Amino acid sequence: MSDFFSALSAVFIPLIFTAVLLYGLFRKAPVYDFFAEGVKEGLQSAVEVLPFIIAIFVGIRVFTASGAMELFQRLLGPIFGLLGVPEELLSLILLRPVSGSGSLVLAGEILQEFGPDSFLGRAASVMTGTCETVFYVLAVYFGVTAVKKSRHALWAGLAGYAAGIAASLWLC
Amino acid sequence: MNRIWAALILIGVAVCAWQGRLSDLSEELLNSASDGLYFVLSLAGVMGLWAGLMNVARRTGLMEKLARLATPVMRFLFPKEADGETRSLILMSFLANLFGAGNSSTVFALKAMEALDRENGRRPEASDAMCMFLAVNMTMLQLAPVTILKLRQDAGSADPGAILLPSYGAALLSMAVAILVCRLAEHRNK
Repeated sequence: MSDFFSALSAVFIPLIFTAVLLYGLFRKAPVYDFFAEGVKEGLQSAVEVLPFIIAIFVGIRVFTASGAMELFQRLLGPIFGLLGVPEELLSLILLRPVSGSGSLVLAGEILQEFGPDSFLGRAASVMTGTCETVFYVLAVYFGVTAVKKSRHALWAGLAGYAAGIAASLWLC
Repeated sequence: MNRIWAALILIGVAVCAWQGRLSDLSEELLNSASDGLYFVLSLAGVMGLWAGLMNVARRTGLMEKLARLATPVMRFLFPKEADGETRSLILMSFLANLFGAGNSSTVFALKAMEALDRENGRRPEASDAMCMFLAVNMTMLQLAPVTILKLRQDAGSADPGAILLPSYGAALLSMAVAILVCRLAEHRNK
């Protein structure tokens, strides 16, 4: 089954291109002009999110590189311990919502150390495959809007994240 | 967000100062800013590409059609969302996420957020639809989490794909909780 979905994911992008272009030609639309026009808009959006991405990169890097993250882990460790969360997975759980690439490196290390088919390895895999970088999404998505108060978006995301973590431990 | 961001930096600086490693931090601060720029540059190409293709789909009317197909799901999640184009952008973002095209998903999402922002009258408070959209995207199921499958293979797993079913289960639960929290918050604010 995993092969099937991998294959599906691999053809997803070319398939969409083919479908859209064929439909456009069928409608006798100037597809090249429309495409170029859209690219221009897309680049403008990229410029618009740039300040927010830089801001969030700086914030997260300072927090993780300063050792504040480790301190935070040591403080939270006992609480998570009471909930039955294995200590080895703690840094992954805390890093995942803020840094996609950082948590992948960490997941890789956990897999190497404990073996990919151990309970820890499987739980770490499921967490990485399931849970998103909540804070990053929040910062970047709202970056293109006029929104200053994100209301329940963060809480919904974090609740979902916590549920995902709990389910990863429970289903493995 | 303002408070979270400031807290991230101030706590970081405080911890570093306490450990006497402030000089490391200055370098880290500067590097992270340029990393942010490089990241956007690498994203910009993908953004241009998808925005271009989406424009073709939009101007030829394909997007409207697509949006109509997914009406039941969208009506459940975004009951007040009437604009077909916004709905199809949201849908494309979900689909790209589902198929593991993360950067592409971001592009659709940003376009959708811009549209939702216009409908919200550029008010400083997020609309229900925005919150729901973020919540679903933050918890979206991924059919083939390619990177983690590769990591498992590299680590010598006997069955890299064994995590798929538990992943789907965990993701569905996570989505359900996020949607539920949104719904509860929407009702409380009425």
